[in-house]
Amino acid sequence: MATSTMFSQLAGGMIVSIEIFILTLVFSLPLGLLVALGRMSKIKVLSGAIKVYIAIMRGTPLMLQLIVVYFAPYYVFGIAISASFRFTAVIIAFSINYAAYFAEIFRAGIQSIGAGQWEAAQILGYTKTQTFFKIILVQVIQRIIPPVTNETITLVKDTSLSFVLSVAEMFTIAKQIGAREASIMPLMAAGLFYFVFNYIVAFGMDFFEKKMSYFR
Amino acid sequence: MAEVLLEIKNLRKVFEDNAEVLKDFNLSVHKGEVVSIIGPSGSGKTTALRCATMLTPISGGSVTYIGKKAVWEENGKICYAPKAQMKEIKKSFGLVFQNFNLFPHYTVMQNIIDAPIHVDKVPKEEAKKRALELLDRLGLKDKADFYPFRLSGGQQQRVSIARALALQPKVLFFDEPTSALDPELTAEVLKVIKQLASEHMTMIIVTHEMQFAREVSDRIIFMEHGVVQAEGSPDELFNSDNARLKEFVGKLTC
Ligand SMILES: Nc1ncnc2c1ncn2[C@@H]1O[C@H](COP(=O)(O)OP(=O)(O)O)[C@@H](O)[C@H]1O
Ligand SMILES: [Mg+2]
Repeated sequence: MATSTMFSQLAGGMIVSIEIFILTLVFSLPLGLLVALGRMSKIKVLSGAIKVYIAIMRGTPLMLQLIVVYFAPYYVFGIAISASFRFTAVIIAFSINYAAYFAEIFRAGIQSIGAGQWEAAQILGYTKTQTFFKIILVQVIQRIIPPVTNETITLVKDTSLSFVLSVAEMFTIAKQIGAREASIMPLMAAGLFYFVFNYIVAFGMDFFEKKMSYFR
Repeated sequence: MAEVLLEIKNLRKVFEDNAEVLKDFNLSVHKGEVVSIIGPSGSGKTTALRCATMLTPISGGSVTYIGKKAVWEENGKICYAPKAQMKEIKKSFGLVFQNFNLFPHYTVMQNIIDAPIHVDKVPKEEAKKRALELLDRLGLKDKADFYPFRLSGGQQQRVSIARALALQPKVLFFDEPTSALDPELTAEVLKVIKQLASEHMTMIIVTHEMQFAREVSDRIIFMEHGVVQAEGSPDELFNSDNARLKEFVGKLTC
């Protein structure tokens, strides 16, 4: 096989990997914030249920979660699974898994903001919702950039786990070509891709961190 | 006699750990009056302010602003004024914290105008104009675009006073406004409070600055163990023969 063909196939996989990465962030970050708020809720049933959810997400392999999400429609609802569901299942599994991790980061961030900020806002007449979105959240975001960067970098590499559902992302394709051609080159190329991708992610997060350091 | 702006009656506060921090605390403050609260650490001064400003729920008694009951105990239950009335009540007071609690992600200007704009619905231009006047009065005109971290403690505390004043409260509480500051910065904050006193702002000030309390107050309250031990004009209090008060004042002034 020509090197150019290999690269064009890998490039297709690369786009799928990037799609998984972006969609996961788009869904898991807001979901993580909601989960964090639920986890801190005074309603015991809610916070208890969310604790269990977080424990499962963090305590079991993501690869297993991918498989469970993919087969759930069939085993739980008896719905036939179409091949096109693979990609959706990957996005769902990644999103609920990463939401759990992000939730814990958000929670730590929210709890690190002193009561004084809430109290000052209360005295000034802000509602709780106004206080959270106007006063607290920006400060939380500034503080959680480093741990969120770590998770995001892990996510780049974790996208390769989609191979268990044979979703045609970078790693799956590299493995296929590698097996067919009996060559390690495609996998090496994939490795380089993850490295460069993460380099760009880290660079972006670093830029964001600097932008957010206008206050202390 | 001027209108009573704040009336605290038989206020009791018991924390979850059963410590009775306030026992039958009473205070009424008239329009234009400056009342200082002094007393040893742990005597319940902060708790009294927090109960009065509804940051902490009371355990008994009542708090009334401008003749409207804000919070009170009835048959062992704590009741709050209905929502609309509470909103009006909350607009009638402000609180300046010991450690300022400015919003770090807002500039000085934003700190001052954000609540008037988003809580009181004051038009932005109007809020800005008022803020600039306040900053001018408090000697901070050139700091409008600074973020709080670039200001000294004294400047931060003056901004927090401006932020409270921007909502035009009828009563302003201060909880040890200078105890996080070194003496030089303390002086600039005390000067601002004295200026407000001369403009007849109604204020309730918890402080350890005896000389200041003496100069600025119409009335001083000496608290200990959750009760008012002595109360009177500065001269009455500083010449009192209450042994505990003498000891307390003596310790702080020499
Ligand atoms: N949240 C709380 N829970 C339990 N005890 C408290 C709490 N806040 C204050 N106290 C206690 O109440 C007493 C009075 O505290 P405080 O009002 O802060 O006194 P002051 O401001 O006069 O120094 C202290 O003994 C303090 O330990
Ligand atoms: Mg105190």
